[in-house]
Amino acid sequence: MKRGSIIGIIIIAIAIGVIISTYADSSTYGSFAEAKEAQKELHVVGKLNKAKELFYNPQKDANYFSFYMVDNKGTECKVIFNGTKPQDFERSEQIVLTGEMKNNSFYATKILMKCPSKYTQDKVEVTETKAQPNI
Amino acid sequence: MDTVFAGEHLLPGKIGQFFVVLSFGSALLSLISYYFASTNKLDTAWRNLGRIAYSLNLASVVATGCCLFYIIYNHYFEYHYAWAHSSTTLPVYYIISCFWEGQEGSFWLWTFWQGVLGMILIFTARSWERSVMVTISLSQVFLASMLLGVEIWGIKIGSSPFILLRNAIEAPIFSRANYLSLIPDGNGLNPLLQNYWMVIHPPTLFLGFASMVVPFAYGIAGLYTKRYAEMVKPAIAWSLFAVMILGTGIIMGSFWAYEALNFGGFWAWDPVENASIIPWITLIAGVHVLIAYKNSGHSYFTALFLIIISFILVLYASFLTRSGILGETSVHAFTDLGMSGQLLFYMLAFVVLATYLIVINWKNLPITKKDEDTYSREFWLFIGAITLTISCIQIIVTTSIPVFNAVFGSKLAPPTNPIAHYNKWQIAIAVVIAFVSAFSQFLKYKKNDMRKFYISVAVCMVVAALLTSVAVYLTGIYTNFMYILLTFAALFSIIANGKLLGDAVKGKWKLAGSAVAHIGFALILVGALIAAATNKVISINNTGVGFGDEFAKSNNPQENIILYKNTPVKMNEYMVTYKGDSTSGVNTYYKVNYQVLDAKGALKEDFNLYPNAQQNLKMKQIVASPDTKHYLLHDIYTHVSSVPLKEEEHNHDGHSDDENYDEPITHQVVIGDTVRYKEGFIVVKGINKNVKIQNLPLTASDVAIGLQLEVVTPQGKTQAEPIFLIKGNNKLDFGKKLDEQGLKLRFSNILPNKNKLELTVYQKQKTERKDWIVMKAIVFPYINLLWGGTIIMVIGFLLSIFRRAKELKVG
Repeated sequence: MKRGSIIGIIIIAIAIGVIISTYADSSTYGSFAEAKEAQKELHVVGKLNKAKELFYNPQKDANYFSFYMVDNKGTECKVIFNGTKPQDFERSEQIVLTGEMKNNSFYATKILMKCPSKYTQDKVEVTETKAQPNI
Repeated sequence: MDTVFAGEHLLPGKIGQFFVVLSFGSALLSLISYYFASTNKLDTAWRNLGRIAYSLNLASVVATGCCLFYIIYNHYFEYHYAWAHSSTTLPVYYIISCFWEGQEGSFWLWTFWQGVLGMILIFTARSWERSVMVTISLSQVFLASMLLGVEIWGIKIGSSPFILLRNAIEAPIFSRANYLSLIPDGNGLNPLLQNYWMVIHPPTLFLGFASMVVPFAYGIAGLYTKRYAEMVKPAIAWSLFAVMILGTGIIMGSFWAYEALNFGGFWAWDPVENASIIPWITLIAGVHVLIAYKNSGHSYFTALFLIIISFILVLYASFLTRSGILGETSVHAFTDLGMSGQLLFYMLAFVVLATYLIVINWKNLPITKKDEDTYSREFWLFIGAITLTISCIQIIVTTSIPVFNAVFGSKLAPPTNPIAHYNKWQIAIAVVIAFVSAFSQFLKYKKNDMRKFYISVAVCMVVAALLTSVAVYLTGIYTNFMYILLTFAALFSIIANGKLLGDAVKGKWKLAGSAVAHIGFALILVGALIAAATNKVISINNTGVGFGDEFAKSNNPQENIILYKNTPVKMNEYMVTYKGDSTSGVNTYYKVNYQVLDAKGALKEDFNLYPNAQQNLKMKQIVASPDTKHYLLHDIYTHVSSVPLKEEEHNHDGHSDDENYDEPITHQVVIGDTVRYKEGFIVVKGINKNVKIQNLPLTASDVAIGLQLEVVTPQGKTQAEPIFLIKGNNKLDFGKKLDEQGLKLRFSNILPNKNKLELTVYQKQKTERKDWIVMKAIVFPYINLLWGGTIIMVIGFLLSIFRRAKELKVG
């Protein structure tokens, strides 16, 4: 056999290895219900429930942040994050959590937010500059 | 119905749009002219027309940029781009950063650099000018189309930076003729981009991306004109230029992330980062195989494939980052402008062109039938390049998960721990690369004296092994086998290339560039490995305060710590004290003092860091930036994670002071009564009818009475005397504040009917302390090896470019 073909075979073998490893390491997007069953880390996509309390009190514990999220199937769940409250969290439109379910709470290890951030949001902020009496 | 809008400046936009269209037209003309020029060698008319058209293209690109700059600089918020990316408060030097915050501006940057590179080629490429410029012009046509912003048959082509706000967004205010007076300011620049590295990083990165087209164009031109082998020399020089610039740009981005972002690191395998490094790796591989081909005649196709795929991957990268397909997987991709189709078309056009030319030329390509000698430099250059390609495949596959999802409708999520996933593969690959880059330097092209080779390799390996044991012991990475192996391989590479550099100093100057670049690369590997593997969060919160029950179960380290003003906290050897904040412009700087005391208690080190946060009151958010103390051997990196919002502190202006207190409680008392409050009690001792009030003369008809109170707390007793006053027909009272007890007491009324006195007690909220920050501090050991290695690698590239450019002139 020519050495060229041996190298070719090795490359193909490694490439297959890469794909299998990616597939094995890849996670899934799921709902809270699935997270409860799966008992392993997965991604849950949902929205922040803005009506319920966001709890972050750094004076009590600087590494404890909890909130309620509604997943795409409509299930609500308490989420506990081991860290500080992410910047701009209240305004998030969509949240992607990575973590797992323990005792009916979702322990997030990573929070990714999609924000209609000030810098991408196309919403004109209008300031009325009517003549005002000087006080 | 045409409304005449007041205060708009439409002229710069119209001029700008004219130049956008002109740049597209001139690029097209240049493409056509150079195409005909390339089919007829004797012709000069088409070539001259091509040159004129291309110069006109560059001129109109520059003019477009000037118009856009003029609009942003003058804060013409009637233009969407200026409104979306700048504000009146922005300092002038950051206006440059606004320029490329948006997609349109970054496309402009790309087309500008491609224009400049094309001009350089017109002047220097000589016999290659016509054929190379066909490809460059074609690419320029595509880039120019990205800025067009016109609709043809219902298809939107490009996105113009000169679109007006009232056309870009629908809102009721745009029906008013004076709408501009209602928009006093733009959205401003993302605070994270307000960093000096953001002024220089994007232009460098885009020059790197733009210069990838040059080796590609040479490869295509080689096929097109059947000068297969001749294209190699200029392609080597240009590839070296491209990898040097792109590499510098990537590291600048990484340095920016380290200096300005608070994810606490320099590389996170984010898809956007990956997108920029993929083409860099393939072109690095390409350079090595081109050199191998030039010296041995082997691996022509691999070399050609690598320089072609590198540019295709640049286009793929821009598709990934600009089409919005990364969506949920990346923190900082651009938002979708609806141009994914156009971006895909750009990429596919070049894929088809390259594939077609390779297929029709296949039989004529200078491909050798026999294998290289296993102990030859060309063989190991090839192996190194293949290993780099594998590295690249791994990064592409994982980064492209969202693309697979889009194509196959699957629902895979990226790995939950991407850093571990990538490192698993990339560390192993880096080990191979470092080894190959070390021992192949002792091999010559074709035949080799193996005895000499083995001696040199063995000597270097022994030295490297000794150094490795010292290094892993000092840095404490000896617990991980792969880390030890990578350290060994990188040190082996440094020593082997160092030996080569020694020979270079003795006269073999030709190899100096390669030796220096490889030393730099190996230093980057060691520096990145050590800094990433041993960086240590020192702000561990182990006080146990407030750990909830459910929390204690998870054993993650508590990486953020709260610091109260002037209360020192011990973190490792550091005594850390938060000293207070100061505001400058939009930023609030938090002064954090670090001290190290030696055993006798004498001050060994004392420095302040000023991590800052931009507060946005309206949105109740902060954008934090770290501050870092750089030492030769380690860095101390600090950022605030949470701070009290300023808004709460400013209650005093315009609001009543009472908001700092809980709801007041009103008591009706007589002398001798006791009133309880949370922390203690208040005894009503008596009344004082001889009250003197400073600056307030009292007449005979006025009544002023003081209420004598004693406040009793566990800490002791305090006297207080709030005053009630009837002056003319007005009732007034002067309350008494007791800051230490957190009380405000008011003698608020006298109730003659009931024969009672009214005492109002205000109590401060217990959680009121506003002088704190939550921060995180990380020590990065030996990170200067990474930055230093980068500088050395760039010097190595420069030396190599000089050498190859010289060869180009001689040849």
